[in-house]
Amino acid sequence: MRFWERMDETIGRLEKALMVLFLGLMIVAAFAQIALRNFVGVGLPWSESLVRYLVLWVGFIGASLAAREGRHITIEVIKLRPSAGGRRYLAAVSELCAVGVCTVMTWAAVKFVRDDAQIDNRTFLDWPTWVLETIIPAAFAIMSLRFLLRAIRALRRDAARREPAPPL
Amino acid sequence: MTTLLITAAALLLLLIGTPVFVVICGLALYLFYASGIDLSAVIIEIHRLATTPILVAIPLFTFAGYLLSESGAPRRLIRLADALLGWLPGGLSVIALGTCAIFTALTGATGLTIIALGGILLPAMNRGKYPESFSLGLLTTSGTLGLLFPPSLPLIVYAIVAKVGIGQLFVAGLLPGALLVVLLSAYSIFIAARSRVPRKTFRTGELVAAGRECIWELPLPLVVLGGIYTGYFAVSEAAAITAMYVLVVEVLILRDIRWGALPELIKQSMMLVGGVLIILGAAMGLTNYLIDAEIPMQMLDFFQAHIESRLVFLVVLNLFLLAVGCTMGIFSALVVVVPLIAPIAQAYAIDPIHLGIIFLTNLEIGASLPPLGINLFIAGLRFERPVLKLYAACLPFVGLLLAALGLITYWPWLSLALVR
Repeated sequence: MRFWERMDETIGRLEKALMVLFLGLMIVAAFAQIALRNFVGVGLPWSESLVRYLVLWVGFIGASLAAREGRHITIEVIKLRPSAGGRRYLAAVSELCAVGVCTVMTWAAVKFVRDDAQIDNRTFLDWPTWVLETIIPAAFAIMSLRFLLRAIRALRRDAARREPAPPL
Repeated sequence: MTTLLITAAALLLLLIGTPVFVVICGLALYLFYASGIDLSAVIIEIHRLATTPILVAIPLFTFAGYLLSESGAPRRLIRLADALLGWLPGGLSVIALGTCAIFTALTGATGLTIIALGGILLPAMNRGKYPESFSLGLLTTSGTLGLLFPPSLPLIVYAIVAKVGIGQLFVAGLLPGALLVVLLSAYSIFIAARSRVPRKTFRTGELVAAGRECIWELPLPLVVLGGIYTGYFAVSEAAAITAMYVLVVEVLILRDIRWGALPELIKQSMMLVGGVLIILGAAMGLTNYLIDAEIPMQMLDFFQAHIESRLVFLVVLNLFLLAVGCTMGIFSALVVVVPLIAPIAQAYAIDPIHLGIIFLTNLEIGASLPPLGINLFIAGLRFERPVLKLYAACLPFVGLLLAALGLITYWPWLSLALVR
């Protein structure tokens, strides 16, 4: 368990660094494209595809981090008091369902990427698209791990503390 | 039968707080599996969504909005508005309304507005001797007012899901949004006058000083709106310019935000973006299945067999959407309900742009609607007041908003006048 917790944390740090890098790149690329087209009169034909794939990466890394911090959008109607014992089990049930769904999604995403690799699609600067799509299975796999850790934490009394962040 | 059971299980999971995207993905996976479609089709839909050109506007605008709300901009803006309007009876409450609307339009997260601005505005209104129940109601409901103003995230999401022009939708929201703000402002001035809230004197010196402080932020609306409305920029370009501009102003020029604080801010804002995008992607898969199975057509037949007049349809639609907004929350409601309702509304000859404004107004009111509107709970946490007290505080505001909703729904001109 300790090992997996540390793994989760390391992945989280890596994700944060990648996210900063990619969002920065996204802003610069999107802005440079407009500036070049309006002032110099030349476009960067590849930058549009680059920006789209950056959105894919930033979005999935964001979703994966949201799973770590319990920040996914939920509809919580049954508001039990935090101290209520039943709450832990409800939380565990919902986290375990999330593990199941994310695992199947990982499998589906791996298949999707493999299919794409066989066709050998290319995008900007002749990058194969399947390489850029690997973030989809990766994010779902990491989310499976994180929901599992959350389920275990919910069942163990010690970490039954609630996240301070309210739903946005 | 199995499908019914699965749907019931999905609803139950939603109620106990399972992430919405998990439930939608799960449903899509089951339905695809049951009809013998390869499961990777779900991923194809998510991937197709993520590479839609307009989508880049979502992370860029959200990042700019988070940056602004973390910077000194809210404080500066409140000071300027106070210098400009503080002498009016109820001036501070009008300022609160306006600032909340602007910040929700920028960040797209109504809860964030309550958390970030409520903390500044509630003490200020208490000091200004406004009745507390009035202040609580105002700050809880006005968080959502910005949803109709560009570049709000829900407007962009609606445009993507319903496949209408974002530029048109941005323009369409202006008059209805202004109607809501004016109506609530009038009510606030009335209450302030009735409870004899002390007024401040107008000072030109303060106005100039406050204006000078805001000099960098004031051109922003021009960049966002001017560029889009004149057709000079596409929406995604306006987003890129906004993000760059805000970054340069708040980090390099004003130095409100340290470089070291940026990674955490990026992470916070992109978790919201990721959460919204993954729901959106999952819902695209589900929607495609539902359309293939002709569910909207069956619903349409049902509606047309029972409801003849357009007016009755609109009434039913409003009630339904209020309930959905109150229980599901804005983003989940948009992605799940819009694809089902849009074809039906079209059969009743409702303009898709007008429908978008009806949707957003309903969902925005639903978010503050007792008993389950999410804003009530967020405000309860933020202001440390019992939710029941907030129910009572919000009632007059919700009542007014409902009246405006009637006007917006049954008077399409309001939404369409600027579009044409």
